[in-house]
Amino acid sequence: MGERFYVSAPPHIKSKYDARYIMHQVIIALIPPTIAGIVFFGGRAVLVLLISVLSSIFWERIILRIKGEKRPLDGSEIVTGLLLGLNLSPLAPWWIPVIGTFVAIVLAKELFGGLGFNIFNPALIARAFLLVSWPMEMTTWMSPFNGITQATPLTLLKLQHSYTPYINLFLGNRGGCIGETSVLALLIGAGYLFYRGVIDWKIPIPYVLTVGVLALIFKQDPLFHIMAGGLILGAFFMATDYTTTPITKLGRIIFGVSCGVITILIRLFGGYPEGVSFSILFMNAMTPLLDRWTIPKPFGYRTLGRNV
Amino acid sequence: MKRLLRPLINGILKENPILILMIGLCPALAVSSAAMNGIYMGLAATFVLVGSNLIISLIRKIVPDQIRIPIFITVIATFVTIVDMVMHAYAPDMYKILGIFIPLIVVNCIILGRAEAFAYHNGVIESIGDGIGMGLGFTFILVVLGGIRELLGNGTLFGLQVMPPSYKPVLLMILPPGAFLTIGFLQAIQRYRGGKS
Amino acid sequence: MLSHFLLLFIGALLVNNILLIRFIALCSFFGVSNSMSTSIGMGMAVTFVMVLASSVSWILWHFVLVPLHLEFLQISAFILTIAALVQFVELFLKKNSPSLYRAMGIYLPLITTNCAILAVAFINVSSNFSFIESIVYSIGVSGGYTLAIVMFAGIRERMASAPIPKVFQGYPIAFITASLMSLAFLGFKGLFGL
Repeated sequence: MGERFYVSAPPHIKSKYDARYIMHQVIIALIPPTIAGIVFFGGRAVLVLLISVLSSIFWERIILRIKGEKRPLDGSEIVTGLLLGLNLSPLAPWWIPVIGTFVAIVLAKELFGGLGFNIFNPALIARAFLLVSWPMEMTTWMSPFNGITQATPLTLLKLQHSYTPYINLFLGNRGGCIGETSVLALLIGAGYLFYRGVIDWKIPIPYVLTVGVLALIFKQDPLFHIMAGGLILGAFFMATDYTTTPITKLGRIIFGVSCGVITILIRLFGGYPEGVSFSILFMNAMTPLLDRWTIPKPFGYRTLGRNV
Repeated sequence: MKRLLRPLINGILKENPILILMIGLCPALAVSSAAMNGIYMGLAATFVLVGSNLIISLIRKIVPDQIRIPIFITVIATFVTIVDMVMHAYAPDMYKILGIFIPLIVVNCIILGRAEAFAYHNGVIESIGDGIGMGLGFTFILVVLGGIRELLGNGTLFGLQVMPPSYKPVLLMILPPGAFLTIGFLQAIQRYRGGKS
Repeated sequence: MLSHFLLLFIGALLVNNILLIRFIALCSFFGVSNSMSTSIGMGMAVTFVMVLASSVSWILWHFVLVPLHLEFLQISAFILTIAALVQFVELFLKKNSPSLYRAMGIYLPLITTNCAILAVAFINVSSNFSFIESIVYSIGVSGGYTLAIVMFAGIRERMASAPIPKVFQGYPIAFITASLMSLAFLGFKGLFGL
């Protein structure tokens, strides 16, 4: 019988939209938020981003060497490094991005089999890991332009019940992670990704809308909640990662809506001021189930028994 | 003496309950946030293990096969109750830390597992040896786990400051994810060294 | 009143998830979760037995052990109750619903050593829950167990075809996965003040 079937993992049809192309487009899309972050937070932001990207490349090289693989740089480590850096405070000490990229590249990605096989979003795993391990260093924020410490709009809301003006939220004149503060810059980047067909609307749009609607229901300002915190960054750049999110259309919409629900729950009722990272990570874990349960039935197909 | 030693060493190395057999996990993860906890938990479990192995081995010839499981459970539960009361009286702080995991020793897979797999079919001396061995293997891993997590997550070892003051402890290590992570890596190391120690 | 029970439920389901945060019932978690059908089966079996065992042990404690000042028999009494219950359920199912028996068959004896069931029995007593509270709590805990184990099974099935480094294949990567899942669940900390 020597016939063996070779089961490989998707994608099975390759096109121009291969990993390298997508990575390059994402890097380009991240340029506006990066510039905004540097404009508002100056040299410190440059430092954090630089360390993050460089150590990301470093860890990737090392782990590939250990594994014995010879893969050329495909940009994914730059994306991870950049995304993680944008998720950090400009005041983060140098070792934070170094450890963070180790966690992202080695723990969350390579141990699971490398690009395309990870279950969880590496940058978010790193961010959650860092936040839980070093809460002080991860929640010391900087006021734009002048370097003094300042709380984020969400923290200000949770602890002092004070609202930040819309224009600040939109342009980026507020405390927070390097990449999350300027909604304008992020939307430009996201727009570019839509234009290039790199991301699908079915996750970010339901995500953002759910947050807005739930905020309304709970008598909060929907526009504030959409623009504050890491929602725009998370919804358009992290929750759209193909590897860690559902394949099916219905699955994606459910993913987006569920993230919205969890984000609002944590923001309004939970112990942390921000819920974006955790909600996406939780839904990453649900993704295999979502894919399983939302497989579209071919027309006319009837199940004979209960297959789960 | 050899009848005692062989199963003893087996329990620590070749068939280490946590790393190899994958039983007795719950307390291993839950109490291993500090090395000292590991010692107390390990000793409590060892006491129960030795006691139950001893008794079960003694009565193995007269226990009817059909009701052996409830008999085992009763014997184990008795020893667990003793440990519970003794610890409550003489080590109340540790008793509070270990909390629900002391009474949970009664469903610790290791103890019931060894009763069924070993004590029921072997002599008294061997069973005592097996009990001590498995117990020590269990304790050993708990202390290693606890030590790693305490060192990285708190900068201390057995309560003594070991890391320099500039060390910023990795809080995650003393939280649940840290426990899973540590065991995962310990097992990977075990595997790297060739599966069985 | 309803919100009190809801909070109890959510606390048990998510915030203090029995598997990923409280580390209870791990043997079954790693042992059974390599396939979706066994995980769902185990989840259902655990739910069924846990709710039943919680009720019976609660009644036993409040109406027999305490009035007769036999509190020191708690450990023995509870575990024997659970073992007896499982045995009884097995026999009952075998006779009255053979298909269900076959479906749940293998898991039933395994459940006797399921730490979670015994743990919940203890917690019901130590937290001084009323009868209704202990039912709600046990539904929450078994729900959390089922959620975590089914989630884990889904992930493990997906990882089955991944090129995981040899040293980590099998249990090591399973533990790392559990670690990351646990990290995700940490986000619920402090939810509703729990």
